[in-house]
Order: sequence, then structure tokens, then C-alpha cells
Amino acid sequence: MIDTKRIAADAEVDALRDRLRALGYLDAGVDRFVLAPAHSARGSVAIAVLASLRIGVLGGLLLGPAAAIGLALQLPALVTSVRDAGVVAIYMAVLFGAAIALAALLAASIVTLIARRAGGLLARRGRMVSAIAGAAVGLAALTYLTLLWTAVRGASAAGHPVLWVSIGLAVAVVISLLLGHAVTLTALALIVSGTGTPMRTPGVPGATWRWLLGAGLAAFAAAVVLFNAGGVGAPIDRGAPPPPLTVVSSGARVRLIAIDGFDPAVFARLSAAGQVPALTGALDRTGARLALGDGGGRGQEDPARLWTTIATGQPARAHGVRSLETRRVAGLGGILHADDDSSAARLLRVSTDLLQLTRPSIASGTERQEKTFWEVAAAAGLRTVVVNWWATWPAVSANGVVLSDRATLRLEHGGPLDAEIAPASLYPALEARWPELRERAVTRAANALSTSRMSAADASVLRRSAELDALNLVLAAEVTSGKDDLTAVYLPGLDIAQRAVASDTSRSGTLDTYYVTLDALLTPVVEPGPGEAVFIVTTPGRAGEAAGGRLAARGDAFRAGPSVSATDTDIAATVLYALGLPISRTLAGHPLVNLFTESFARQYPVRYVATYGPPRIGAAERTGQPLDQEMIDRLRSLGYVR
Amino acid sequence: MIAVPEFFRDYQQRVDQELRRLVPLEGSRVQQSMAYTVHAPSKRVRAVLTLLCAELCGGSATRAVPAAAASELVHASSLILDDLPAMDNAPLRRGRASNHVAFGEAIAILAAFGLLNLAYGELSRAYDASLSGALSALLSEAIGLDGLIGGQAEDLLATDQAITFETLERIHRGKTGALFVASASAGTLTAGAGSDQRQWLAAFAKNLGLAFQIIDDLLDVEGNPEDTGKAVRSDARKTTFVSFSGVAGARQLALELCQTADRALTPFGTRADRLRALSAFVAGRHA
Repeated sequence: MIDTKRIAADAEVDALRDRLRALGYLDAGVDRFVLAPAHSARGSVAIAVLASLRIGVLGGLLLGPAAAIGLALQLPALVTSVRDAGVVAIYMAVLFGAAIALAALLAASIVTLIARRAGGLLARRGRMVSAIAGAAVGLAALTYLTLLWTAVRGASAAGHPVLWVSIGLAVAVVISLLLGHAVTLTALALIVSGTGTPMRTPGVPGATWRWLLGAGLAAFAAAVVLFNAGGVGAPIDRGAPPPPLTVVSSGARVRLIAIDGFDPAVFARLSAAGQVPALTGALDRTGARLALGDGGGRGQEDPARLWTTIATGQPARAHGVRSLETRRVAGLGGILHADDDSSAARLLRVSTDLLQLTRPSIASGTERQEKTFWEVAAAAGLRTVVVNWWATWPAVSANGVVLSDRATLRLEHGGPLDAEIAPASLYPALEARWPELRERAVTRAANALSTSRMSAADASVLRRSAELDALNLVLAAEVTSGKDDLTAVYLPGLDIAQRAVASDTSRSGTLDTYYVTLDALLTPVVEPGPGEAVFIVTTPGRAGEAAGGRLAARGDAFRAGPSVSATDTDIAATVLYALGLPISRTLAGHPLVNLFTESFARQYPVRYVATYGPPRIGAAERTGQPLDQEMIDRLRSLGYVR
Repeated sequence: MIAVPEFFRDYQQRVDQELRRLVPLEGSRVQQSMAYTVHAPSKRVRAVLTLLCAELCGGSATRAVPAAAASELVHASSLILDDLPAMDNAPLRRGRASNHVAFGEAIAILAAFGLLNLAYGELSRAYDASLSGALSALLSEAIGLDGLIGGQAEDLLATDQAITFETLERIHRGKTGALFVASASAGTLTAGAGSDQRQWLAAFAKNLGLAFQIIDDLLDVEGNPEDTGKAVRSDARKTTFVSFSGVAGARQLALELCQTADRALTPFGTRADRLRALSAFVAGRHA
């Protein structure tokens, strides 16, 4: 039998408990904290400022961690560890604390002004006015937090079950109600202080559990509507862990030469004049015209972004390397993309810039979220060598031989390795032979380059470019064994030379000279040997026209024929297909089977796997001092960064 | 039922000693009247609160004794005034005849003012000008319109009237809570505590003060006159916490208030265990 008297008595006690809370008893810790400075001896302005500061502290403590969770999901390159998350939470706490303190001060100031002018009238309407002030701040907080969650849902690769979304929104509602209550409380105190008249009805408006429950449910419903109106795409599902890769090899060894800064028009002119025979032989064969970049060939793509797209077969939004120049936030292991225009990134930039807490940084492999073609090949047990490719530092041993884009810097500076070269066991031998290798490259560049009819400045640029390209080719030759399944070398010389003379058409002869030089340097490597497949990838570089790129393929496996149209994301899939590897269904690009002979295509049909899995970025062994500043200085001297 | 904690005795004795020095048992008729109430059996809860808060904030209990004694003097004064025929007209207090019954109304009024006067004098003599000024201001607020006087005035006006819960709280806050908070704050001031510590202990005292009063209301309904020292149902014409929540509800709320008071001590850790014992005593007291 239900004891109705007991139930009624309990309800009465519940009601009294709420009223006691509203009067500052029981668990009214927030009220005590916020109104601690509201001594009778203090004026309204002092109370407003001090209480607003305390509300700011409260807001910072609550919103800082919430925003850090959002940022960690939205900017995975920025938050790479628990420590990073903690530092971001502190930054966000400071930012939100300041913003909420200002918002509370604004609301409190308005209430103070009204209290001074309206006097007794406000004493009668004080509860309503304070409730409105609190509701305004609470709604603003709820709207922001819900939109933050909406953005996170769009950015996160993980799924968002209903439970987690509900918990997230419930936390947003609680935080908003708490902040709204704190502002209401402050406004009420200011009205009492300003008018000198206590409220007719004591207690804080909306401080009873019935009101809070109603307001909380309404706020939750509003947050759900706002969340679902966010209009973002479905989350990406990376699926199951990667299956083992089976190689069905044709026996072909693949060599890929990457030439940046290549202008097809200049090449056509020089080719017609017979000045670049090696390149002509390589590029006038079977190949593909490449649309470059996420925008479909705008030209002047960021080199780190473009060459990582080529290496991974994924667009920048998937592989994560979005710009050569990034910004590192003090205390964080992750980075902030310079071109990231998301609200979260802007927010963090504003907050850290204000405090002078950012410093320039260069794109690295830590940002990359997709495997490169050499990493896929190495994971399948093939022997791979990659030299000087963008964003390959820090180099991971499990990925075959990697001479990262910082390898020559380390060899120049010496000292303990900081993952510039993998495997690390290669370093002592290379370091010992460095003077000899360097000399060989200089000699080879000098032999290939003729600077007799150009200015000293132009000669200096070309010499430096030629030495860089020669050095990378020498290093590649040094670390390859002749049994490697895949060798990939990135050559920046033409891009550097083109960039240096691009603004002056009278210096086009200088650039022609470099094409001839490059042709001479490449002569030994563009001709495929028996069982070899040579790919040459060219892109217009930073100063080039929006001419698109080119993929040329030479070797027995390729048929003679006209060029096909393709995109930069197709290159990785094509290289992997040539190596006999299955193609991941998650790749944006497709293997260009039309480049291969019919018999090859028939004998080796394209096979697929669900995924290649994520890269092993964290596995790099790092013991030495990072050459961050040296890298920036070098790229600045070469015109890559400002 | 919880007995008075053992450590109480030392604190009580120190305060009693000071009160005996201030208000000797022998003397003029007014002085006898003052001593009659001041030295009546008492647990000295407010004084002990002052001493414990002083020690908790790193101060010395000895230094806080004059402030604790001042609290007790003010409290004794308020008891004399409350019992007057023009006020509650209570014949019994602490198991004995009320002061005005024993000494006559006029002497009792003078004794009450004498005790108040003595409290301020004690503060000014015991402490330097700055601290004495701060303590006097504290005491003045606890006695004034937002304290004992305001609470008693509302209480008188509420007799035989239906009052709201909020009015009842205001009465209790004025009559009991204000002096509890002032006693705790006085202890922190003598110890030179920071504002955070003062806030924590003020929150403790505020919740404890209301719990103390609710228990008082409960004892009025179900207490033993021999234990309580006053007539049961003496507050029958008044609205009390029991009127709003019933006996069980009032007991529950008093318990929750004591628990909240304990939570306010969290930043002090185990150093505040004696205050927790005080809170437990208040929650379980029977007199």
C-alpha cells in the first residue's frame, strides 16, 4: 500500500531543501564562490568586476577541458598526447575564462546601470532582470558548446553513438545552466547593492530543482535540435585493422624520380631543339597527364601538401599534411596548420597569438595520417628506399631505407641522429663517407652545369640547385643495393631554380640551362634496366603555370601509346600495382592500368584490400636534438618559407 | 545521542575562566544578574567555535579567548532580552528561572546592556586597534538589524502569525546564524586567516547555525525539559521548522545542513576534525 502521507511529507522536505539552497545553505558552493567579494562595504562596480572574474574562473575551468576535447577531435595534428590535451585545456581555460568574465561583466554592468537609474522600480522587477541576464549568458554558452560538438562530429573520424552525443550535450547543458545561474546571482546581488532594497521574494530565480529540471530539459532539447541542424557529413569509418598484404610480383623493380618545378612548355621547346635527350626519351613515352591538387589542378600547390598527396594517394584533407609552413604552439607536441580556417583553429590561433605562444614550424611526418606507397610496400615485405621526399621526417625504420627531407641537414651538422635517417644503423657509414659523397655530388653538378653565359647570381642559384639534385641522386645510389624493389627520389633543384628566375623573363635562358643540367644528371637513372619500371613524376612547382603534372612510365611492363588523364592521387595506386600489391579500397586514386601492357594487366589483375591501416609515425627513434630551426633556415634560404 | 566531545572541556574551561574574570559572581545587583546568565550551565558552542576556527587557521586559542568570551557575552545578553515579558515572556532558561524572574525586569534589562557593553570593552582591551575594530564591526553586524535585533524583531511580529519559510529562515539567521558566523569569523580574524579560509569557515558556521536552530525547534517539540532547561512547547505559538517539514523532515534537513557544513571544511583536510566533531555534536545534541 502506498504511503501517500509519507510521499507528501517527502515532497515537502524536497521543496524546503530547494528553498534552503536558494538561500545559500546546503550545497550552494557556487553561490558562495561567486558572491564572495560581495561585501556590503564594496560598491556595485567592485562587486561586478570581482564577481565577473570569479565567473570567468568558473567558466574557464568548465569550458577549458570541454573545448580541449573538441579540439583534440577536430585538430588531431595539434593534440598528439595527453600532455598536449592538458596544455590545450589550459589555453582554452584562459581564453574562455577571459571571454566569460567579459560577458559576465558586460551583463553585470548593464544591470548596474539599470539599477542606478531605475532604483525602486528595479527592486520590484529585479528578479526578472537578473534572470534575463543569466539566461542570456547561459544561452550563449549552450549555443557555443553545441556548435562545438557539431563541428567535432564533422571532423572526427570516430563514430558518435547516440549515448556519447547525449552525454556531450548534457554536459553542455549543465555548464550553461551553471554559468547562467552564476550571472543571475551576480545580477541579483548588484540590484540589491545598487538599489539598497532587498528583493520582495528571497532566493535566486530558477534555483529550485523543478525549475532547473524544466530548464535543463528544454535546453537539452534545443541543443539536440541545434546539433542536428549542424548539417555536417557522416563520420568516416576506417573499418577493421589492416589485413596482411600479399605480393603477387611481376619481378619488376620500380624506380620513381620526382621532379618539381617542371614546365612542359619549356621542356617541349628544349626537346624539339634536342637539348634534353634523356628527359625526352623518358617523358615522350607512355604516360598520364595529371590534374594536381584538391582543387583539380590550380597549379602552384604547396609542395609538402602536393607531394604527400602523390605519396599517399589521398587528398590533403585525408593525409593531413596541409601546408609546408605550420605553427607550433608552445607546450604542444602537435602543430597548427597555417592554412586551417576552421573555427577551432582560428580560436586557438587568436588565443595563442595574443600571448605570443606560437612559432613557425615545418610540415613533418607526424601530421601524416595515411601510409605512403613506400610504407605500404615495406609493410608487405618489399625492400624500399626513399630519398628527400617532403614530410618524411621523422623517419621510421620499419618503412625500409628512408633518407628524410632532413637527412642532408643531419649529415652536414653531424651529432646524434634525431630520426633523420632510417634505419639508424645507416647513419655512421653515411656520416663517415659524407665528405666524399658531398664532393662527388659537387663534381657531378659541376660537370653537368655550364654557367659561362650567365650572371654570377644566376650561376650561384643553378649551382646550388644542381648540387642538391646531384646529392640526392648520389645518396640514393649509395643506399640502394641493386636488389631494392622500390626506389623513390625527390629532386627539388628545378623548382628552386625556376622560383629564383621566375619573375624575370629575360633570364629564361638561365632556366633552360638548368633543364640541360638536370637532363645530364638524370641520364644514368631514367633508362630502365632489365626488369625495371621507371616512373617520372613532374609537377609545375611553386612558380609554374597551372599546367598540371605528368606521370611517365618506362619499362617492359608499359605499353606505347598516348597519354591518359589522371589525378595526382592515382600515382601511389599505380606504383603499388606495378609492385604487385593489392590496392586499398580507401585510396582516393586508382591504378592506371591503361599504362600497362595488355598481357601485364591480364596476368596481374588489380587486387583490393579493405585498408592499409594508419602509418607508424610514433615508432621513430629520436635521441638527438631536432634540427627544427636549421630546417626553417634552409627552406627560407631556398625561398620555400618567408 | 552524542556526548559533548572531550576536547570541549579544555576550551570551555578557558572561556569560563575569562568570563569569571570579566563577570565575577559577587558584586552589585546588576552584576549578579549579569553573572546569573553568563555563568548558567552552557556548552559554549559559539566560544568553542571561535577557538577552533582560530586554531584551524594557524592562530592560537589563547589569543582568541577574549573574542570567544565576547561572543558568549553577547549571546547571554540576547537570552536575557529574549526572555523578557515584552518579548518571549519565558519563565525558564537553562533549567532555572529566567533572569527577569530572578532579578526583576529592570535589572535584567540593565544586565543585558551591561553584558553587551562588556563584550565591546573586552575586544578593545584585548586586541590592537585594527583587530579590535574589525572584531567590533563583526559583532555589531551580528547584533544589528541583520542579526540578533532584526531576527528578534521579525520573530516578535511573527508570533501568532502565518509566516513564510523565508521569513522563518531570516529569523533564525538573525537570532542564531549571525552570531555563529561572527564567532567563526572572529576566530579567523584573530589568526590572521586569508579570505578563502574565512569564506570556508563562514559557510561552515552558516549551515551549522541553522542546523543548531532546527535542532532547537525539534527539542522544543520532543525534548525533555530536564535536559533542555526550558519548557517543552514553549514555541507553540510560533511557526518553526517543524511546522514546515514535520519532525522527521526537520531532523533530516538538520542532518544535511551539518553534512554541508562538514563539506565546507574539505580544504582543511583532517586538521578540521575537531570542527567536524562539533558539527556531529550539534546534529546529535539532545539539549
